Amino acid sequence: MDRTAYPHSINTGNVNSYNVTNSNIVNVNNVIADENPDIMRWLSPLDPRRRHQDVRTDRLDGVGSWMLDTKEFREWRSNEGGVDKSVLFCYGDPGVGKTYLR
Amino acid sequence: MIDDLCDGPCEGDIAIAMFYCDFRDQQEQTATNIVGAILKQLLVRREVLEHVRQVFQKAKMEVGGRGLRLPDMVQMLKQAVSILPQVYICIDALDECLPKNLLELLGSMKEVLVESPRIRIFLTGRPQVEAEIARYFPTRLTVPVIPKTQDIKRYLENKLEMDPEPMAMSDGLHADILRIIPEKVSEMCVGASTTPIPSMT
Repeated sequence: MDRTAYPHSINTGNVNSYNVTNSNIVNVNNVIADENPDIMRWLSPLDPRRRHQDVRTDRLDGVGSWMLDTKEFREWRSNEGGVDKSVLFCYGDPGVGKTYLR
Repeated sequence: MIDDLCDGPCEGDIAIAMFYCDFRDQQEQTATNIVGAILKQLLVRREVLEHVRQVFQKAKMEVGGRGLRLPDMVQMLKQAVSILPQVYICIDALDECLPKNLLELLGSMKEVLVESPRIRIFLTGRPQVEAEIARYFPTRLTVPVIPKTQDIKRYLENKLEMDPEPMAMSDGLHADILRIIPEKVSEMCVGASTTPIPSMT
């Protein structure tokens, strides 16, 4: 398999999934998707790739990064809280920047 | 946030799937199709793909071919999540789903979570969907999103730098924009955030 590393890149491939090993982001999913177009279509006609590319392009670095420092985000991410801390819901009114959180 | 999960220090393999709900695409964004789109992003290991391929081959053998139903899809997602060491699922703008699709989607995520407690689910939406989320995930963590003054200033500065006609802007107007807009936005959001969201816990 062609294991091409795309550091800091999330907008490559047919679908946007990332296998992260030793901090190298290796996108194997585009290879799998290319080899299996029938299965991909059968699973879902939807492809969230384009929307994520748009969001990445429009997002301004640093904006929304406060969220990563919240106690809730750290608890959610750390796995220490187990199943009780496995869902994080960020809510806000339209246009406050939920999609662009970083 | 998704990029941060990728960039951060990683212990072992991490697989991330994301989905952006969109009211313009409500009819096609059924729970089955959304779970399928998430699953597509988790085919990062051959074992996961092989399992999905077996179900695919079996479905093809049936007379006329059979479309995937939600329970089939959820079963495949459970299998994928159980194989992968760490899975993050991020779903944006849940309020843009049709109510029926939203409940089915949350129910599906709950089913997966019950079997694989290590999975992490990140959801965003307007406060109105809090009640639905609370029904399925009573112990969820919540973070209110309010634009920070610093973020607004940064955004405005960036937009002003990109102004195609900077000569048309006086220094006074430039300064006023950077002072008044962040103040007004903060006032609006403080007002909005004092409205309590109904708690179902």
